[in-house]
Amino acid sequence: MKISSSTPSLVSGVLALIMSGTAAWAAPVEVQWWHAMNGVNGERVEELVKKFNESNDQYKVVAINKGNYDEVINSTIAAYRAKRPPHIVQIYERGFMTMLLSDAIVPVQDLMDKTGYKVDWSDFIKPVAGFYSYKGKLAAMPFNSSSPILFYNKEQFQKAGFDKPAETWGEFEKQLYAIKKSGAAECGTALATDYHWSLIENYSAVNDQPYATKANGYNGLDTEFVYNKTLVVPQVARLKKWLDDGVLQIAGQGFSPEQLFTSGKCATYFASTAAHSGIERNSKISWNATFLPWEEGHQPKNSTIGGAALWVIKGHKPEEEKAIAAFFDYLAKPETQLWWHKASGYVPLTNKAYEMAKAEGYYKESPTREIAIQQLNRGTPTENSLGFHFGNFTQAMFAQREEVEALFAGKKDAQQAMDDAVKRGNEILRQYERLNKGKY
Amino acid sequence: MVATTHEPGLKHAHFRTAGLPAMLLLPQLLILLFFFFIPSIRALFQAFLLADPFGATVHFVWFDNFTALFASESYRNSVWVTIWFTLAQNVVTIVVALVLAFATDRVVRFQSAYKGVILLPYAIAPVIAGVMWAFLFNPAVGPIAFFIKSLGIAWDPNRNGSDAMLLVVLAASWKHICYDYIFLVAGLLAIPGSLMEAAAVDGAGPVRRFAQIALPLLGPTLFFLTTMNFVYGFFETFAIIDAVTRGGPAGATNILVYKVYQDGFINLDLGSSAAQSVLLMAFALLLTLLQFKYIERKVNYSI
Repeated sequence: MKISSSTPSLVSGVLALIMSGTAAWAAPVEVQWWHAMNGVNGERVEELVKKFNESNDQYKVVAINKGNYDEVINSTIAAYRAKRPPHIVQIYERGFMTMLLSDAIVPVQDLMDKTGYKVDWSDFIKPVAGFYSYKGKLAAMPFNSSSPILFYNKEQFQKAGFDKPAETWGEFEKQLYAIKKSGAAECGTALATDYHWSLIENYSAVNDQPYATKANGYNGLDTEFVYNKTLVVPQVARLKKWLDDGVLQIAGQGFSPEQLFTSGKCATYFASTAAHSGIERNSKISWNATFLPWEEGHQPKNSTIGGAALWVIKGHKPEEEKAIAAFFDYLAKPETQLWWHKASGYVPLTNKAYEMAKAEGYYKESPTREIAIQQLNRGTPTENSLGFHFGNFTQAMFAQREEVEALFAGKKDAQQAMDDAVKRGNEILRQYERLNKGKY
Repeated sequence: MVATTHEPGLKHAHFRTAGLPAMLLLPQLLILLFFFFIPSIRALFQAFLLADPFGATVHFVWFDNFTALFASESYRNSVWVTIWFTLAQNVVTIVVALVLAFATDRVVRFQSAYKGVILLPYAIAPVIAGVMWAFLFNPAVGPIAFFIKSLGIAWDPNRNGSDAMLLVVLAASWKHICYDYIFLVAGLLAIPGSLMEAAAVDGAGPVRRFAQIALPLLGPTLFFLTTMNFVYGFFETFAIIDAVTRGGPAGATNILVYKVYQDGFINLDLGSSAAQSVLLMAFALLLTLLQFKYIERKVNYSI
């Protein structure tokens, strides 16, 4: 728009009038939400926001996709440093400590209390609420939580003479070799891009193996990785053996491992329950899903969550904070939770929503949708299965992956690779501890 | 650069006042200021800090970020990977471009089509090129990978570091050959035809004419291209690495510039990332200086 220089006062006067006019008409207070949901779930987020905006005329949420999780946290940091942050950001669970100690956030429970919204936090399912809590209060609004489960190709299992995957790793391994040998499938299992989460971290939780000291970081920044002394070592050695024998396949760059499963090439696939939407849409195979296997002689514990939560960035106006609170209040409603659970494949976050899904028979028609939540709620959590609260966890995770790749390439044996991963990881933890001493 | 003082030409421009040249320089200087000097100076400061990505907690740690890097096996690995990668990429690019350029003259029919095909990769975005290479050579689905395996050669860039290195060298070179090619074709055109004809009359075959006449006369062009290829290898291959291997497997293709990105923007370790970029800049500067000091002396600029 071009404004003639001879009439600036008139124009600004008119503009001011229009502005005040709209204010008097009570234009909805707008808040920005940066998220990382793409594809099907990206469309679901749009739907969710639309439903909220239509449900009231005071507040409006604008959802903006900022790419993947890494890109969202980077954009958030850049915007925060430039002093123009969005109101709500969706940050992956691995970024919990980074956000918690960033001094850039308002803990969500404080925000709800301040704005006078009553949310029944005790109704949130334990593994999720526990993960996102700090000193007994929720720091972030749980949003999309998942857990890894085991997807499998029904026909290929039957062809090799099995009903379904075995419950223990030893038996499951025999099945995969039999499936490959009988020619039922070309490969036993496809290695997901986030295998560190399903096959190492959750493996440790389910089999009650300590991943690090101090209850996996829950009890202090001076936590140290110890997974080089646990069953994780034979577990990664097993993966290497599978890879050598062609039982395990890596999809690699330029190709998605999910397609190795949905095309019928690999008989199983360890992936997040959120993979449901993609698998349902893309696969021509007849598939089913089940719980993660565990080691024989172990009582399987609960698995841990993945996914992301919504963080509130501090420094916004009171009426905007109210808008955020109104949106979170809407999110916490059992009806919204139920809709989101069904639409996205993520787990329902409140017990009420879970009960509603059960009551309406949802799990009768889609039984695999219940696996993740049953697995998350299984047994009494121990210190080893609460979840993982590590600073700079992404960095430590990439160091671990590099060492696993060195094992896969045959450059190191399993013990050496895990020793080196732990050593590098601990340096990363010490750097975080040094930076944040006294803050946790 | 050693300038010959009495030769008229591009090396010396004569302006009567300082105003015009200053104005002509201004846009470039502004771009340098905002996109080079300010970020570089900030990186220099950041390199001495241990900082929370949000900026809440900042510790001044002197040279800790640097000492940590020198002690880090993965950083040392990255230095070697970068050296091998840029050298290999440089050699492949120049040799292939030279052969193609020298052959241009010998293509009689469809010469413009020939040139067009060679120049095409330049028009493709690096990310797209990278994804394409990754797909074609993917052992699970790639047609070229199937072909390689059908020859009985083990091929798996997802597991084997040297396969991955070979793949990114090829992809990066393929993308850059056209750049070198344009300059070499122009360089060859600048060689007087009479020289070549005289050599031919004296009985020199095409190989000898290439090796003993064209190659020395292309010296300045080759020198320029080597420098440019190093710059390309160091800084501009980022997108290809990202799309083809993500620096893996086990850091086998994790060149310095990709590590700067990974540590800064994925791992959010800003201090280390800044220290790495300072070192990378110093490294590139040193290399360019060495090239100008030692190699340029041997380059013959006059025809």
